[in-house]
Amino acid sequence: MDKFKVTFLPDNKIVEVAKDTTILSAALSSGVCIKSDCGGDGVCGRCKVIVKKGRVLSQPSGLISAEDRKHNVHLACITTIHSDLEIEIPLESRLELTLGTEGIYSVSENVESGKKILSEISFKYCPLSTKLYLELPLPSLNDTASDLDRIFRGIRKTQNLPFVQTGLSNIRQLGELLRDSDWKVTVTLGKINDTLEIILVEPGDTSNRNFGICFDIGTTTISCQLVSLSSKKVLGTKAAYNKQAGFGSDVITRIIYSRQEEGMEKLHSAVTETMNQMIKELTVEHRVDLNDITCVVCAGNTTMIHLLLRVDPTYIKREPYVSTANFLPVLRAHEAGIIINPRGLLFCVPGVSSYVGGDTTSGVLSSGLYKEEGLSLLIDIGTNGEICLGSKDFLAACAASAGPAFEGSGVACGMRASTGAIQKVKIDAKSFSVTCSTIGDARPCGICGSGYIDLIASMLETGVIDRSGRIKLENHMRVRDSEAGKEFVLIFKEDSATSKDIVINEADIENLKRAKAAIYSAVSVLIKRMNFEFNDVKKIFIAGGFGTSLDVDNAIKIGLLPDVKREKIVFIGNSALSGARQMLLSIEASKKTDEIARKITYFELSADPGYMDEYMSALFFPHTDLNRFSSAK
Amino acid sequence: MVLQLMTERWTGEVSAVTIGAAAKDGGTRAYSIKIGGEKSLPCLFKEGTLPNKPQVAFEVFDVAPNDWPNEVLKPYGKSVNDPLEWAQMCVQDFKARSLCIRLLGAHPDFGNKSSEEEAQLIKKLLEKVSVPLIILGSGDDAKDNLLLPAISEAAKGECCLIGPAVQDNYKTIVAAALADGHCVIAESPIDVNIAKQLNILISDMGLPLERVVINPTIGALGYGLEYAYSIMERARLAALSGDKTLASPFICFVGQEAWRAKESKIETLPEQGIIWEVLTATALIQAGADLLIMRHPKAIEKVNRYIDNLMTNDRTQSSK
Repeated sequence: MDKFKVTFLPDNKIVEVAKDTTILSAALSSGVCIKSDCGGDGVCGRCKVIVKKGRVLSQPSGLISAEDRKHNVHLACITTIHSDLEIEIPLESRLELTLGTEGIYSVSENVESGKKILSEISFKYCPLSTKLYLELPLPSLNDTASDLDRIFRGIRKTQNLPFVQTGLSNIRQLGELLRDSDWKVTVTLGKINDTLEIILVEPGDTSNRNFGICFDIGTTTISCQLVSLSSKKVLGTKAAYNKQAGFGSDVITRIIYSRQEEGMEKLHSAVTETMNQMIKELTVEHRVDLNDITCVVCAGNTTMIHLLLRVDPTYIKREPYVSTANFLPVLRAHEAGIIINPRGLLFCVPGVSSYVGGDTTSGVLSSGLYKEEGLSLLIDIGTNGEICLGSKDFLAACAASAGPAFEGSGVACGMRASTGAIQKVKIDAKSFSVTCSTIGDARPCGICGSGYIDLIASMLETGVIDRSGRIKLENHMRVRDSEAGKEFVLIFKEDSATSKDIVINEADIENLKRAKAAIYSAVSVLIKRMNFEFNDVKKIFIAGGFGTSLDVDNAIKIGLLPDVKREKIVFIGNSALSGARQMLLSIEASKKTDEIARKITYFELSADPGYMDEYMSALFFPHTDLNRFSSAK
Repeated sequence: MVLQLMTERWTGEVSAVTIGAAAKDGGTRAYSIKIGGEKSLPCLFKEGTLPNKPQVAFEVFDVAPNDWPNEVLKPYGKSVNDPLEWAQMCVQDFKARSLCIRLLGAHPDFGNKSSEEEAQLIKKLLEKVSVPLIILGSGDDAKDNLLLPAISEAAKGECCLIGPAVQDNYKTIVAAALADGHCVIAESPIDVNIAKQLNILISDMGLPLERVVINPTIGALGYGLEYAYSIMERARLAALSGDKTLASPFICFVGQEAWRAKESKIETLPEQGIIWEVLTATALIQAGADLLIMRHPKAIEKVNRYIDNLMTNDRTQSSK
């Protein structure tokens, strides 16, 4: 078979692939990531690359303009390789997944690990895995208990648990290990349901070196925290885009992709690679040995968990939308491809249904929604938005596909809430000059979710756009035509960190409008179907990967949140991640999530005849029915 | 025991729109027509007043129409080649109470006449006939953005109904209507939400909703009439329940849709097209249509008679 060498510029990465391989898959094997929202169907037009040298064959596509063709621009997913190539990946087609070693913190999570936004729910401290240092008495002719019994005996002295078990591989090495270490060993114990298992036996005393990692695996963003299980301290927080984004931007496209040849393997390795890279960086930065990480907790939507565990997600997509498993047993992390201590445990937060997953359960846990006296609402604004309504008496949840716009993906100058992201914006009503603040006060590189909310609100207020989201300001230096309709320039290239103008265009506004309409209408339908009204809700928790703050007034002005008294709304940051962290530190919290997941009633929006109507009328700023937003009129 | 009929009490009402300015209002029209103002659903005379009769306007093109079936061209004879003559014929021979001029000739594909040329035509037309006018652009957004301001200025003070304003292109026309004292047709694609959004956008620009008429977009009998019906009904129910942003009268382009139906084009059944137009019109009147734009004089005659029958029926009296 013919093999060709493909060089990707400007990275200068070279990969050898077989003839007829697409440029997109060659790029992925070389480790260069190209945007591909449609998952390689050739319909989104995001994967444009420039063929500098060599011969390729492209399927015809209307997404390549005559001008593009002149410059040898091709869609990477429908172009196959027929000679050695040199390919340039333009900036707009690159999917930035590179994790820096510093400064990529999602600030909302940093805040959580510092000062507590949430009223910390006090679960008894008893981590999912504990380390116990044992100094065992030497065996003698009077004490001939076996090595294993000796360890069991040592454990039972400190903890009164009747059932202790362990795996064969531990037993195999036990004899020599105990004698070599002078009978001084540290055992790592994991509680699996009601049984205590010896996960690991190590020589010497390592009991103060016990760490766990909690993950929030989102469709677009993955965030994680490294937690010391012995001191309860959060050592570090990381966030990164989910590498699976290269195979489609929403769960449905990814499920379809998983059916392709090797699709499942690619999706699985994309997510584990992202996670492993994050773990590795955390361990390097905080000088933690990978072997001392004994436990991982993952909160994620149902599809993400299926793909992580390489379980076929096909039936999530097909009516009647049933997942393979919502409650997963405790697993070995390495079974899922997560690199920590080879015997370390993996807990997945139990989910509710195909579209309301463990991240929601986790959010309900950390927000305390399940024990609220009055009717409360949790809105998790993500690619797959989840809404949970309830109190200590009942819980009902639904999911709304909002798209990744508020996570800064799929919009021209969008970015995650990390350093350099514009998170607050104000436009002057007369001169239309823009003042904004960025996370970390760095030079602006892009706009994050909370920045977009502010931006749209002030564009509405100053008349830059009309209520349908079209730019109506004319003859101004900040407004110009672009391929995606008109665009408004926030930051000119002289002042941006990317030396490119930071803009918002009409297609972005349309995207954000659809996202906010999906969330708002899901909230509205859920409340209506439960026979309540907005005013019956006493407290609204807003979760999501926004910056350090979210301007509630502006979120109401654009119609993302219902027009209720401002003091009812509490912004709680990444609630899925803090829920997973609580689980990591307490078996009781873990048991609580089981209880919560069983208690939540799932409400299928697609089966509701009123949802589409609600959605259509929410496609306006703030809403077609202005009476619902009397304070934002 | 007497059976007590249930009657609905409505809190809202449809706004009344006046088209055409007579001398006392600063124009040159012989009279003005008033549409809308309903305080009840169509024909439910006992539930609230229905002060204004539905109106029918004759449709006139500035160039000879190329897609009208013979049957509907026949009554106008050669006059379809001259818009002024055609308009005069409608008024004098067929007793038209209002006219709807469509400036198709300005469309880049159908003649590309200049805005000045069309403005001149409107000026002449205003001299020739004295009925209130409804003026439509060419249907090409870019062209209409040049054309409609010119037309609006040419007809300044005559309080015409001009359009269409659509969600993607409403600013120029609304600004022109605001400046020159006209009313605007707000057109939405059989979608109650967009109808409402467009009305909000228009009123955000400062044009009072009393000067807006909704074109809900309709289909002829057999071509989606019931869909249009239900959209109009939804909008009207909202209006009567107090939603001001949907409380505009409806304009329905009946002739255009009815004569497009293949049933109207069968040469061996010359009457069928007329029947099609009449049935479409009468059904829409029951859905709440206030202004019907029609084509065949015979169909218009029948519909006018139907309206008179309906509105002067003794049921009207009993509502007092």
